[in-house]
Amino acid sequence: MGTTSISLCDVGRTFGATRALAGVDLDLKPGVTGLLGPNGAGKTTLLRLLATALPPSRGQVSVLGLDPEVPAERTDIRRQLGYLPQEVGFPRGFTAFGFVDYIALLKEWTQPAARHAEVRRVLGLVGLSDLSTKRLRAMSGGQRRRVALAQALLGAPAALILDEPTAGVDPEQRVTLRTVLAEIARRSIVVLSTHQTEDVAALCERVIVLDRGLIRYDGPVTDLVAQAAGRVWLADDPDPAAAVSWRTGTGRYRNVGGRVRDGAEHVEPSLEDAYLLLRGGAPERQPTGELA
Amino acid sequence: MTGWHLDDDLLRRYAERTDSLAEGASAEQHLLSCGPCRARVNAAAGVIDVAAVWTRTQDTVEVPRPSVLERVLRVAGLPAHEARLVAVASAFRGAWLAGVATVLAFAGVAAAFGHARGMWLFLAVAPIVPCLVVASSYDPWLDVAFEPELVTPYPALRLVLLRTIAVLALALPLVLLFGLVVPGAAAFAWLLPATGFVAVVLAASTWVSPLRSACAVSAAWLAVIWLLAARSDAPEAVLQARAQAGFLILAAASFMIFLIRRRRLRQLRPWG
Repeated sequence: MGTTSISLCDVGRTFGATRALAGVDLDLKPGVTGLLGPNGAGKTTLLRLLATALPPSRGQVSVLGLDPEVPAERTDIRRQLGYLPQEVGFPRGFTAFGFVDYIALLKEWTQPAARHAEVRRVLGLVGLSDLSTKRLRAMSGGQRRRVALAQALLGAPAALILDEPTAGVDPEQRVTLRTVLAEIARRSIVVLSTHQTEDVAALCERVIVLDRGLIRYDGPVTDLVAQAAGRVWLADDPDPAAAVSWRTGTGRYRNVGGRVRDGAEHVEPSLEDAYLLLRGGAPERQPTGELA
Repeated sequence: MTGWHLDDDLLRRYAERTDSLAEGASAEQHLLSCGPCRARVNAAAGVIDVAAVWTRTQDTVEVPRPSVLERVLRVAGLPAHEARLVAVASAFRGAWLAGVATVLAFAGVAAAFGHARGMWLFLAVAPIVPCLVVASSYDPWLDVAFEPELVTPYPALRLVLLRTIAVLALALPLVLLFGLVVPGAAAFAWLLPATGFVAVVLAASTWVSPLRSACAVSAAWLAVIWLLAARSDAPEAVLQARAQAGFLILAAASFMIFLIRRRRLRQLRPWG
């Protein structure tokens, strides 16, 4: 087995005239790294690059100490990789067990007894042991997402690349999945993209914010949240100068950024506040993480 | 009490439920009246690997039963796991096969009863069916689980070739069957063009997607047939030895190109 790290050096990716990623430098170690960013920021492209589903247009990628440009090394990477794409289609007529079993075959689990035991293990991890014989088309969207996640967990991968793993999953199951991913991250590299900032706050020690193919922030979650300290406040009216402002359930307005007025009630910032503040510009104060 | 007791072997078979119905009934009858044998049942049952029994039960419930095609492939000598990988291809879906069979049936009947025009129709359809089915067996666009499959270590080239061979093994007899109703040499004249077109699709798949190359080959063949039919009423043009030799050369050359460029197969892209 190679090094337990993934590194990208000046990696860019274009699709025709569209630039999806521009000059990304990254070094990923075991632990959970969260990827945040608006739609079209380049999150999926970055994850596909890490998962060897896509080559870079420029730059160097090294996964677990191996070079995905070399066919034999790419195959070795894939032996140690778990990948959940953003969208997974399922062949017709498959049950949850049948689909994960099929991917296990492609992952070289040729011995039936060991393969079936592994399929049961990963279906158990995502809480689908009782639904293993249910046909995928009869499952809910969240259940299908968990089946797709189960195939990524096969074989205790050294690198786990997950594109929106909790999309459509109910809160209870999200908490369960966080526990599972945290356990895997004790020895593996886990990278996940999500629009759920609470998942990142609860699970990730490191967060990367992407925007238009560039890294806007790369650092500890706590540091990013700290950037918003003292800049989130409640008032009776929205502040036009705030980066974002919305009416809460209590009827008051939560303002992120802008000029804090007299009588405003300061509140603890969340990761979502910090992210929105970062996305909203706030040129007078930039986070201390790596900025592209 | 007769002094007779169940021997160890019979007791074990009874405990493991591997005895016959008559044997089991007899053993049970004896156990009802024999305390010493009843006392030995637990010990015999103790040798049962409960975990193994549970796993077998789970397998029976959870593991999908092999399809007819999978069983045929296994009989043909393919290992069970590869038979499963081949059978998953979209080309083996019932609806797709029914559609192909319907088109072939229509073309076959047209050739049998429609004189020259019917014959042209059969010659237009029969050679392109195998290449379209082959392309659909490994085209990423039709393979809904393509992305998770792509990043597995299983060699894509092997998967493509296995599916191609399996599809041909299924499609060729199907076309031959419908060809039986076609009078004359045309019943078999499509075989070499079909082989050539499959090889062209494999070779072209190293540049463009399999489905696109199969559609292009089919369109070109239909155009040729349309031109020939417009110029002459004699479908025998396709049957001439020179034309058949041309298809043979096309097949050989295309397959050579495929072998040379196999690492650039579309299925392996974008890395190929």
